[in-house]
Amino acid sequence: MTTTSALRRQATPGRILALGASLLGVVLLVVILANADQSQAIALGIGGGALIAAIALSVTLNYQGSGVVNFAAGAMAMYGGYIYYGLRVNGQLFLPPIPNPLALVEGGVHIFGAKSFSLPHIPVFITLAHTSKGVAAYGTVITQPAMPVWAALIISMLVCAVMGLIFHFLIFRPLRHAPVLAKVVASVGLFIIMQAVIVLRFTSSAKSVEPILPQRPVHLPRGISLPSDQLFLVGIVIVVAVALWAIFKFTRFGLATRAAAENEKGALVLGYNPDFLAGVNWVASTCLAGFFGILAAPINQSIDPITITLLIVPALAAALLAKFNGFIVTLMAGLGIGMATSWIQLISNKSWFPKSGGAAIPGLTNALPFLIIILVLALRGKSLPTRGSIETVRLPFAPRPRRAVPTSILLALGTGVLLFVVTPNWRLAIVNSVVGMVICLSLVVLTGYVGQISLMQMALAGISGFTLSKIADAHHIPFPIGPLIGALAAVVIGLLAGIPALRVRGVNLAVVTFAAAVTIENFVFANPAWSGLKGANIAPPSLFGLHFGPNDPWTKVFGSGQGLLPNPWFGVFCLVVVVILILGVVNIRRSRVGRHMLAVRSNERAAAAAGVSVSGTKILAFGVAAFIAGIGGALSGYRFGSVTAGYFGAIPSMIFLAFAYLGGISSVSGAVVGGIIVSGGILTTVMTNWIHISDQYTLLLAGLGLITMAIFNPEGVAGAFRDSAAALRRRMSKKDETVDSTPPEINAELAS
Amino acid sequence: MSLLETAGLTVTFGGKRAVDSLNLSVDQGQLVGLIGPNGAGKTTTIDALTGFVPSQGRISFDGDEISSLSSTLRARRGLGRTWQSSELFDDLTVMENLQVAAERLRFGGFLRDLVKPRNDDVSELRSILDSLDLGETAEQLPTELSHGQRKLVGVARALAASPKLVCMDEPAAGLDTEESQALGRRIRSVVEGGRSVLLIDHDMGLVLTICDYLYVLDFGQLIAEGTPAEIRNNDQVITAYLGERHATTEPHGSTGD
Repeated sequence: MTTTSALRRQATPGRILALGASLLGVVLLVVILANADQSQAIALGIGGGALIAAIALSVTLNYQGSGVVNFAAGAMAMYGGYIYYGLRVNGQLFLPPIPNPLALVEGGVHIFGAKSFSLPHIPVFITLAHTSKGVAAYGTVITQPAMPVWAALIISMLVCAVMGLIFHFLIFRPLRHAPVLAKVVASVGLFIIMQAVIVLRFTSSAKSVEPILPQRPVHLPRGISLPSDQLFLVGIVIVVAVALWAIFKFTRFGLATRAAAENEKGALVLGYNPDFLAGVNWVASTCLAGFFGILAAPINQSIDPITITLLIVPALAAALLAKFNGFIVTLMAGLGIGMATSWIQLISNKSWFPKSGGAAIPGLTNALPFLIIILVLALRGKSLPTRGSIETVRLPFAPRPRRAVPTSILLALGTGVLLFVVTPNWRLAIVNSVVGMVICLSLVVLTGYVGQISLMQMALAGISGFTLSKIADAHHIPFPIGPLIGALAAVVIGLLAGIPALRVRGVNLAVVTFAAAVTIENFVFANPAWSGLKGANIAPPSLFGLHFGPNDPWTKVFGSGQGLLPNPWFGVFCLVVVVILILGVVNIRRSRVGRHMLAVRSNERAAAAAGVSVSGTKILAFGVAAFIAGIGGALSGYRFGSVTAGYFGAIPSMIFLAFAYLGGISSVSGAVVGGIIVSGGILTTVMTNWIHISDQYTLLLAGLGLITMAIFNPEGVAGAFRDSAAALRRRMSKKDETVDSTPPEINAELAS
Repeated sequence: MSLLETAGLTVTFGGKRAVDSLNLSVDQGQLVGLIGPNGAGKTTTIDALTGFVPSQGRISFDGDEISSLSSTLRARRGLGRTWQSSELFDDLTVMENLQVAAERLRFGGFLRDLVKPRNDDVSELRSILDSLDLGETAEQLPTELSHGQRKLVGVARALAASPKLVCMDEPAAGLDTEESQALGRRIRSVVEGGRSVLLIDHDMGLVLTICDYLYVLDFGQLIAEGTPAEIRNNDQVITAYLGERHATTEPHGSTGD
């Protein structure tokens, strides 16, 4: 029954919704077309819509081929654009940083003082063509592009294809039977890596790009005029979508892929190899994203590491509308979202439209895909595609903490003493790590214990920080109450965002929370009424006349560094907060609520049959996690003295999920490890100060570590330690054949 | 007055009637069997009773109409169930599996637990485990247990909630004859303890020996009901199980799997 249902056309709520949306679109169009400037704005959105559609098609292809919802599809388009840019302008193909084993030898020799000692380095660029200088009119020297357009395009596509193969064979093939969380995390890792590589090679500032497609104004009826490159772009994406539709509808390959998407086991029985299908689809989807990244970059005249990357959100909205399934619906939705975005941009600048601080409300354009995603998922409820995989694998094991109270208090005491002894930059590292632990803890509760993937925890932290600044500080609410109000504001937003989670699971929840984070970031944090260009200020905390803000003067107690900032008492304050939160989370795991949470995570149906309120447990987890994240937001607000949009938001939320997962998403000790490895934390400081690895590599390493972890050890660093310790204990007491308490698959992993 | 009573219970899947106007009742302290060939709608009936598939018709339990309640609320009123494939919480130990079913979550209790977790009394749960020979497994994870043990933990978890009625979905499937007989004795002792059980199983020997009363389904319709002795000699039942050897008046339609 299930194997055929998707192949048949049915009047599902999704289809009805898509039909309704397109009808509404048509009506709206007719109304708007009466207005010349509005119809012009809509038409101008079609180029952006084409890129959204292309990324959405790439996402759909990935899902069809390998069951992965690829959060990195936008990043792939951006990466493709940069490959082309490097080739065309400089004639150079840039390489991602490749670890050089010789560097260790070299570094070792340097430690012993031979600074001039040098071994071969792995190149950063491969030069394929040289730039030539030409003299243009009026005697100005201009640099000619190094490589012809066609050559740069072909080489870019080849590189994209190779990347697709690498993604498949090294990342997603090993993960094909992994839990959804591992797949999401791997694609997040890919996202982080691609962005980090581009920032490393090209910096984060925008590069201007020259047009590839001809740019002549084309006059359409009703006084609309469009640059011809946008029309070409739309034409190409339509051709691609129709071609994909035809391939999937009429060819054996497409049929096999669809069969595999519906039921992997079924496809195997029919004699198809789902692995081969996945590989081909990965190559196709990376090439597709990369190709349109190249073609579409000139529409904005420039390329940067963020803009195209974040188009993944509207692209996911478009792909969701088509249930990751129909190419034509995806195309229409992508184009529609692009045009609607452009129109919203225009009308939000009109005088009659509500304003925020005298200017147009920011983030309205981001709210549109978010609303679409929420609506689609809430209406469809349970009927979303969950792939029939051969085996279901559990989430990482969530152990009952042992000896948590003495361990955490001893560690905190030790760290507290260290704060007064170490130099200021180490003090800062400790503070950053402790604040990071708080955010990771919130993910342990929500994702680790209840299995709800959230890509918005930093956005919630930001809500708390901004509330602390704008409401609490502005009304002179004293210290311990201010951050609590902030955290409660985060709880309110967290609960609101948690409501869709009652009907949405797995990767779809990740999509919802990511879209929510993007919306909060643009709607609230980037809103000039909330934060100026410098961000929103936060007054340092003080209690009973004691001032312990990071920049408050302090007197020497013992050790070194009297008066040097940051104030170590601020570190002590953060430690006290994190110990309280850690013990709270430990108690959650040890008590009824933890058992109920893990029951929901294990099996929602069975939990309901056992009398557990699944919705209640999830909502509670969303609230608790938002509260913890909110406390983290207040701490980081105090730490910087202000809150800025860049620090909170969608991409930082993603990166924090990475750190939490790397540390170990399902245990408190994992959150501690996660805090140690956050950027600016203890590990990065060790790397920059002792091993001399630049700060810029932190994110790259985090992304790589994340993927490695997702594949080889879903229990994170803390889990690996725990298993080794358990194995050691077993070896020590071999005679005593007690019951083995680690699940068999972990042992299998240890053995391999 | 019956503990559980359905009137016209109907479940449709896209036009197919998986359960068709079923009337059944289970009395306090009664062990009622629900049997029928594959695809007869037995599991669907349990799903409908416990709220996991939408259904039409009335379901009254312990004097109240429960058909509009969620699965969770039905479970809390004392309508428990087990699953064909155990569906244990694999992340929790056996004892924790039982605790989840036995304990209710309240916000006040949650706040108190944050500060100092209570040491919940598990002696009653331990005696449930002991009665099913699972005492040794209390601290093990379900993944470490044998298939038969997992099935029993499923039963133990259902009993941990102190239900008035437990719907058991093929608890003996995959067990050998000896294990199956032992399970039968345990189910019987559950009923002697005052609970009611609605039992689905394919092991005819088991069902016919231990049940007080039987309902027989075929293609979603009730084709017979009665005591085991009556069912044993019912022609329609024999036909349903052995195929259309005899001419039958029962309209069969084209459903089934």
